[in-house]
Amino acid sequence: MRPCGVFDERYIQDIAIVRTWQHWLALIGALVILYTFPFYGSYYLISLINLLSILIIVILGLQIVMGYCGQISLGQPAFMAVGAYTSAILTATYGISFWIALPLSGLSAGIVGMISGAPSLRIKGFYLAMATLAAHFVIMWIIMHLKITGGIQGLHPPPPQIGNIVLDTEERMYYLIVTMMVISTFAARNLFRSKVGRAFVAINDNDLAAEVMGVNLYYYKLLAFFISCVYAGLGGSLWAHYYMVVHPEQFTFMHAIWYVGMVIIGGMGSIPGVFFGVLFVRLLDEIVLFSSPMLSSLFPWLGPGPGAALGLSAFGMALLLFIIFEPRGLAHRWEVIKESYRLYPFAY
Amino acid sequence: MEKKKLLAFFGALFLTMAMAFNPTSGIGAEKYVTYLGLEDFTGPIAGITVSFNEGLRHHINYVNDQGGVDGVKIKPILLDTRYDTSRAVSAFKRYRREHKLVFILITSTGVGKALYPLTVRDKVPIQVPGVGYFQNLLGWAITYAPPYQDMFGASMDWMVDDWKKKGNPGKPVVGYMGWDNPFGRENLLGGREYAEKIGVKLLKPEYYPVGSLKHDLWLTRLKDYGAKYIFVSGTDPENSNVVRDAYALGMMKDVQLISGVWGTTMETGVAFHPEEFEGEVICSPGIRGVDARAHPLAKLWKRYTKSKPPVQFSYMLGMSLGIMFEKALKVAVQDVGYEKLNGEAVYRALQKITGEDTKGITGPIDLSPTSRRITRDVKFYRVTGGKIVPITDWRRCPDTVSLHKW
Amino acid sequence: MSTFLQFLILGLMEGGVYALVGVSIVLVYKATKTVSIAHGQLLAFGAFFFYLFFGYFGLPIIIALLLCFLAIGVMGFVIERLALRPMIGQPLFAAFLVTFAVFVVFDGVFLLILKGGILGVPKFLPRESLLVGGLRIPEGQAISFVLSMAVFGIIGLMFRYSKVGLGMRATAEDHQLAQSTGISVKKMFSVIWVVSSVVAAIAGISTAHVIDIYYSYPLLGIKGLIVALVGGLESLPGALLGGLILGILENISAGYLDPIVGGGVKEVAAYFMLLVILLVKPYGLFGLVRIERI
Repeated sequence: MRPCGVFDERYIQDIAIVRTWQHWLALIGALVILYTFPFYGSYYLISLINLLSILIIVILGLQIVMGYCGQISLGQPAFMAVGAYTSAILTATYGISFWIALPLSGLSAGIVGMISGAPSLRIKGFYLAMATLAAHFVIMWIIMHLKITGGIQGLHPPPPQIGNIVLDTEERMYYLIVTMMVISTFAARNLFRSKVGRAFVAINDNDLAAEVMGVNLYYYKLLAFFISCVYAGLGGSLWAHYYMVVHPEQFTFMHAIWYVGMVIIGGMGSIPGVFFGVLFVRLLDEIVLFSSPMLSSLFPWLGPGPGAALGLSAFGMALLLFIIFEPRGLAHRWEVIKESYRLYPFAY
Repeated sequence: MEKKKLLAFFGALFLTMAMAFNPTSGIGAEKYVTYLGLEDFTGPIAGITVSFNEGLRHHINYVNDQGGVDGVKIKPILLDTRYDTSRAVSAFKRYRREHKLVFILITSTGVGKALYPLTVRDKVPIQVPGVGYFQNLLGWAITYAPPYQDMFGASMDWMVDDWKKKGNPGKPVVGYMGWDNPFGRENLLGGREYAEKIGVKLLKPEYYPVGSLKHDLWLTRLKDYGAKYIFVSGTDPENSNVVRDAYALGMMKDVQLISGVWGTTMETGVAFHPEEFEGEVICSPGIRGVDARAHPLAKLWKRYTKSKPPVQFSYMLGMSLGIMFEKALKVAVQDVGYEKLNGEAVYRALQKITGEDTKGITGPIDLSPTSRRITRDVKFYRVTGGKIVPITDWRRCPDTVSLHKW
Repeated sequence: MSTFLQFLILGLMEGGVYALVGVSIVLVYKATKTVSIAHGQLLAFGAFFFYLFFGYFGLPIIIALLLCFLAIGVMGFVIERLALRPMIGQPLFAAFLVTFAVFVVFDGVFLLILKGGILGVPKFLPRESLLVGGLRIPEGQAISFVLSMAVFGIIGLMFRYSKVGLGMRATAEDHQLAQSTGISVKKMFSVIWVVSSVVAAIAGISTAHVIDIYYSYPLLGIKGLIVALVGGLESLPGALLGGLILGILENISAGYLDPIVGGGVKEVAAYFMLLVILLVKPYGLFGLVRIERI
């Protein structure tokens, strides 16, 4: 976001993330607010931010493979499950420290994701989406039928530990999760200032053209899936240690579609879009959840079941209207606002 | 034009947001406790939870209309978590500071396991599905039906008795069919050990995916392996569909089908196709069928909804939860008084109501320092001429949970 | 051998329903290039309307069927007009998400109708099985299988010989060319949605014969998506074949593999098959192989 009259003179300036002193101010201010939030925020809001941050990490991964590289993946919850289960098995069954399990879970999810992303070499578009969905079902089925994952019982990973401090409360987990979220956001943002990121965008625009230009399609498509699933795995690991339970029922097909929905509503190919998408869908969901008892207290004859059904319909309706009126996502609206700020004193 | 529409849309959104995030007032009484229900009205088990919830809610309303428990009213907050752990956990975190939150009802096992450590820290007892894990834990979680494996054990006992009564030598061959998910596989954790103990030959279990069109494959296989009794574990209406498929295959005559607790809960199904269910036996921890219809409390439905009473088993079972909570609350209020009433007091009280009756809806309450089962008795019903009629009195379930190595 | 044949028959019967759902999805994709998940709801509501007219009001079966098709046609028309028309020219996946939002909206309505219970359609086809040389053939399902094949034939003929069918085929080929030859593409979209809704409703009705109407009806739409992809999104015979293959494969794999791996193969078999077929034939069995230009 630049005020009027600030121009880029060199390429380094053009791709810089932080450009003006206002940017520095906003960035530092936001970080300070984020990191001091547990001192004045309510318990519920802290837990909400924890949940949202985990989701943001996962959706950042999806944004990389889907928004930037153009390979639609409906398998994100399964890759998250792989990360969560890896972390849970390593810590709960083998007693390995969380700090070793965390990167390993990212790695394992990345490798599984890379294998599941292999069809992307031959197929694309909706076919690929369904292939990743199939991978989701196959992975979840395998997880449920293995002995080491606890099968239907699930596993109970312990909370992470730093020295003697056990991160078992909301406030303590908050710092770990939010730090991870900030790091992964910067990593994702930086990825697209590098050669790899530019290759992804080239593949998204037109993969044949990219190949002609010398982008190794196989390598970069698999790399996109790998990076995306590393994010999913890290998010899954945090999820496992935050909830202290992993269970096959936690990662379902419906989540797969909601995650893709978050990317589309936020805006494809935009890092702020991830934040918008997660916040919009998740907060809408919270509203529906909490207003349905209100509905049934307003209309007692309705009962809770129909109230919930109406809530579901309302949720779908909001989503529907949103996509129809803003098909390019909230990030597009954000760009419009940015542009008008840039041109502020002038009308056009 | 488009911008205006968008603005209106967001305006409406923020209005709802403001409304939803406002604390709800609910009951006007000055003395009340909060009862939080994290249930699934729109998930895969909506078929049972909706009427389950109706029963619970009607009973709570009934208690409040009578002036509460020693003057203490119950404020129910019943939410739809859509079978999603993160939704349920977030809902719990929002409501945990609610005025005198003393009890939480959870209808999904995954959610129950995820919430358990949090609720223990808050010292609030929770009520969870009847999985053996919680009975084995002997902690702050009580089940809302006998553990599934215990009921499976009771069904095997019944099969042995029935086998003998028909004049056959030895022990029957039993087949097991369940959903291919945690719920469908739960019965055998302990059930398998119990079968070995009493010498029943349990065939290799068959698991079918949730939402199958036909179940012929698994039924015929079990029959080919020589099953004389088939225990079907699934949630209605899929359980009923298995029975109907068995009828279409002409199996009902030579193989006895026994449904688990959530089988044929929808009596409308029996009313639609009475001949197809003929002969099915249901293992039920609460009254259903003709018993449920004759029960005096069934009239509550009419009073609170003013519609034709489709009295279902889960409606009555939900009511029994209300009765159990009412009794525990009464003991807790007498023990510590309203001022000191909290989750821990209710937890202590829950262990003291051993042997109390639930007005005949279920067997006597079995909660005690060594048991987290709400009851331990089941009754067997048979579908005869489109009616679900009892064929046994209350029978005690064997303790199969302790047989399994957890 | 006889067990194998038995699995084959069961698979064919189930595959008939899958194929119908698949065909309805392919119809929409061919013309509008939108992959729709909302057809699961159209299937469920088709069954519900049939229950309403046949079971609840007790009308004669022919009239009930006609009214049901009318109602579901209107529903499909409204969905197309209100939700999908604005999505013309938007990204493919946004349109898919719109159909998903439609799915969620109607899911709420469907649950509201069911009130947590079931709706049983009175018997309109025999439930018993026929014994032919040691093989069990479910009578009612066999009849509905034959009828669904007939429906498929009618659609094929309609596409081949009627004027509307010609318009549809032209629209499927190229929107701009069709427009320039005087075909109203938008009108064609509506017609396609109405036709595919009716096809989905037929699938719903034949499901209602097997199981009472309940909340997981809409999820059959996902099976339809698999079928459509296996056969190739643009191919009607592909969808038919894909459906039959899916049904047979599900039953055979469950029949032979369940005892070995310990159950639950049936569901995962479908997805496994999809993965394999997409790896071997990236555009499905009969899908159009796109030649891309930069």
